[in-house]
Amino acid sequence: MPFRWFIEKMGADYNQFIRILQLKLTLDDRRIKVATKKNKNAQEKMLIKQSLGQIFMGVFFSVLLIMIKSPFTFFYLAHTFIMALMAMMIISEFTTILFDTTENAIIQPLPIKGNTMSLARNAHIFIYLTLMAFNLSVLSIIVAIIKFGIISGLIFISTIFLNVLFTLFIANILYLGIMRIARGEQLKNLLMYFQVAIAIFFMAAYQLGMRLIDKTQIQDMVLPVHWYTFLVPPAFFSGFIVGLSTLNFDLQHLIFITEAIVLPILAIFFTGKYLTPVFNRKLMDLEQGDRASKVKIESANKSLWYRLMSSIFVYNSDEKAAFKMMWKMVGRERLFKQSFLPSTGFILVMIISSFAGKPFDLDKISQSNMYLLVLYSSLICVFTIASSLMVGPYQSAVWIFKTLPFTSSANFFKGTIKAAFVRFIIPIYLVISVIVCIIWGIKVFPDILIAFLCGYLFSILNYYIQLPIYPFSMEKSAIQGGSIFFKFFGVIVAALAAGFLHNFLLGWFPFANLLLIPVYVGAIWYIDQVFVYRKINWKAVDLTNNFS
Amino acid sequence: MQNQTIVEIHSLQKKYGQKQVLHGIDLNITSGQIIGYIGPNGAGKSTTVKILCGLITEFQGDITIFGKDLRTQTLEIKRQVGYIPENAVLYESLTPLEFMEFIGEMRGLETEQTREKAEALMNIFEMKPNLNQRIATFSKGMRQKVLICSALLHNPDLIFMDEPLTGLDANSVIMVKEMLIHLSREGKTVFYSSHLMDVVEKISDRIILIDQGKVIADGSFDELNEISNDENLEKMFTRLTGNTNHGEKAEAFINAFEK
Repeated sequence: MPFRWFIEKMGADYNQFIRILQLKLTLDDRRIKVATKKNKNAQEKMLIKQSLGQIFMGVFFSVLLIMIKSPFTFFYLAHTFIMALMAMMIISEFTTILFDTTENAIIQPLPIKGNTMSLARNAHIFIYLTLMAFNLSVLSIIVAIIKFGIISGLIFISTIFLNVLFTLFIANILYLGIMRIARGEQLKNLLMYFQVAIAIFFMAAYQLGMRLIDKTQIQDMVLPVHWYTFLVPPAFFSGFIVGLSTLNFDLQHLIFITEAIVLPILAIFFTGKYLTPVFNRKLMDLEQGDRASKVKIESANKSLWYRLMSSIFVYNSDEKAAFKMMWKMVGRERLFKQSFLPSTGFILVMIISSFAGKPFDLDKISQSNMYLLVLYSSLICVFTIASSLMVGPYQSAVWIFKTLPFTSSANFFKGTIKAAFVRFIIPIYLVISVIVCIIWGIKVFPDILIAFLCGYLFSILNYYIQLPIYPFSMEKSAIQGGSIFFKFFGVIVAALAAGFLHNFLLGWFPFANLLLIPVYVGAIWYIDQVFVYRKINWKAVDLTNNFS
Repeated sequence: MQNQTIVEIHSLQKKYGQKQVLHGIDLNITSGQIIGYIGPNGAGKSTTVKILCGLITEFQGDITIFGKDLRTQTLEIKRQVGYIPENAVLYESLTPLEFMEFIGEMRGLETEQTREKAEALMNIFEMKPNLNQRIATFSKGMRQKVLICSALLHNPDLIFMDEPLTGLDANSVIMVKEMLIHLSREGKTVFYSSHLMDVVEKISDRIILIDQGKVIADGSFDELNEISNDENLEKMFTRLTGNTNHGEKAEAFINAFEK
C-alpha cells in the first residue's frame, strides 16, 4: 500500500498514525455535538452554514476569474487565491490545532514516536484544509469545467490536493522560523501578533490588488513566463494543468509538470521526516516555557482611563464588577485578541483602499463628505467583537457565575461588552476622530459623535442579540464559519444604512444630522435598560451554557 | 444558630435525559455540623451538590435553604452559601487577587475588604507571594487553594464542598481539616462530598451514604457503627454499596493484566 509505505518512510508508525487521526476526528465530532447540544439538526445546519460561508467567500474572492480567457492565467490566479486563503486559514483557524498540546498528557506516556504524533496533527489539518479548499474553489472548478473542458477541470481538482500539501509545508517552515526566535509566553504572543499581521496583509493585498487591476483588460490578461515563474507554486500547478490537458509536453510544461508532482510530495516528505521532530521538540519547550515565563501584571483598575470609562459606561455594582474583571481579561486573552485584532487592521485597509487608485488631493478631500466613510469604517470591528468575546478555553469555568448572586444575569453580559468596547474600540475611534478633525476641521465634531453613538449602539445590540454565551467559553470551531460570516455581512449592511441615513440628513437641511443624536441616545438607553433584561435571563443562560 | 434546620430536601429527583440519577432524596440538615456526603462513583453526589448550589436548576422535589425556596429565592440563598467545586477550572489570565476581587464584589464586599481577606486567606496557605501571579502558572493544588479561599471570602453560613482536597499536599489537607472543624464550631455548616473515607470519618458529625441516587445510610459514625459493627468507614462503605469481593476482583485484574 503506497500510502502506508509513504507514512512509514517519514518515520511514523502507520497503525498508530491512523488511530491518532481517528481519535482526533472523533473528538472534533464530539465537540460539535457539545456545541450544538447534541441536536442533530443543529449539527447539520452548522456544517452547512460553515460550508456555505466558505463557498461564498470563494465566490467573493474569485469572481473576477470568470472573465479571464487564458487558461494559464486563470489557473495561476485560481491557485494563488486558494494558496492565499489556505495560508490565512492555517494561520487564523488552525494554529491552535498545530500547537495543541492538550493530548500530550495522554499520548506522551505511550510509546508513540514524535513523528507519528506530528504527522497525525498535520494530516488532521490537511483533511480540514482540503475540504475548505474545495469549498473555496467551487466557483473556480465550475468555471474551469465550462471554459476549458472536463479534463482541465479534473486535473485542476487534483492540483488542489497538491496545493494544500505545499501550503501546509510552507506553514510548517514559517512557524518553525518563529519558534526559533522566541519561547514560552513570548512565543505565544509573537504567534498571535504574527497571525494578526498575516490576516491583515492578505486582506490588504487582496483589496489593493483588486483595485490596481485594470478590470477592462482582465479578460485578455496573459501572464508571461519568466525564469522566476518556475519558482512560483501557483505557476507550476497552472502549467501542470495546461500541459496535461492540452498534451503539450515541451520543456516549459515538462518542468511545470515535474515541479507540480515532485515538489509537494517532497515537501510533505521533508515536513514529516525532518521538520516535525523539531516542531515537536519546540512544542514541548512551549509547554514548559509556560510555567517558567514571568508575566507582567498591570494594575488596570488604577488607571485614570479605566476609572473615567467605568464611571461613564457602567451603572450598577454587578455590572461594575464584571466590567473590571473583563477589562483585564480582554487585554490578556490571546484567543480573543487573535480573533478581534485583525478587524482593527481591516479598518485601515478599508480606509486606504477607498482612497487608492484615485488622485490624492487633500483640498478636494477636505471639502467632501468622505470623513463619514472613514468614521463608519471603524464600525467593522464593532461587529467582530461579539463573536471574539465568545471564543476561549473556559467552558468549564462558567460555574463561577452561576454560583454568584447576580441580581440579573444580563448585568454580567453588559459589563463584558462595555469593557471590550471601551478598551479596544474607543481608543481606535479616538485616533480616527483626531485624524478626521485634522483634515476636515472641528466642524465635523457632531458627526464624529453621531458615528460614535451609532457604533456603541451596534456594539451592544450585536452582542445582546447573540446567544448569551459566557465570555471565552466557546470552541472557535463551534462559532466560526458560515453563521458568523453571514451575520457579519448582515450587520455591515445595517451599518451602511446608518451611514447613508447620516449622509442623507447632512444634505437635507442644516443641522438635520443632529436629529440622530436623540434617536441614538434613546435607542441606547432602551437597549441598555430595558431590552437587555428581557433578552438575557437565567433561562436563556441555562439553555446556552453547560453548568452540569 | 446552632442546631437549627437550615437545609430541607424533599423527594429530590434528577434525570439526565432518560437516566435517573437521583431517586427521591429526603434530608434535613442542621446548622453547625460537618456533613460527610459519600457514595461510589456515579451515585449522584456531585449532582446533589450542584443542585443545592444553584448550578443545576432543573430537578424534581422541594428544597429550602435557610427557610427560602431554592427555586424562587435562589439569589438570597447564594448570598449565604459558599461552593468549592471538584475541578479547579479558573480564569487563567487573571491573578488570584483579581479573581477574588471579582468574587468579593459580586458578593457585595468592598474592594479593600476583599483584598484584606484574600491576603489573609492566601497567607494561611502560604500563597501570599503568589497573589499577583497569573493562575495559568499555578499547579493543581495551588488552584484548589484559590478556590477554597474564594469560597470563604464572604464568610458563608453554609459551605458546599465537592472533593475539596483534590491535589492538595499533606500539610494543606491537615490544615483544611482543622479549618473545617473550627468553622463548624463557629456555627457554620459544611456539606462535604468526598471519596476520602478516612477524612470523612474523622471530621464528620454526620455521614450520609448514597448509592444509585438513594440514601442508604445516615447518622454519625458511632451510630452507624453500632448497627453495622464495621471496623471503619471504608469497610462500612464497601459492605453497604455491595462491593465486598475486592480480593476476587483484584485477582481477576491480575489475570487480565498477565494475559
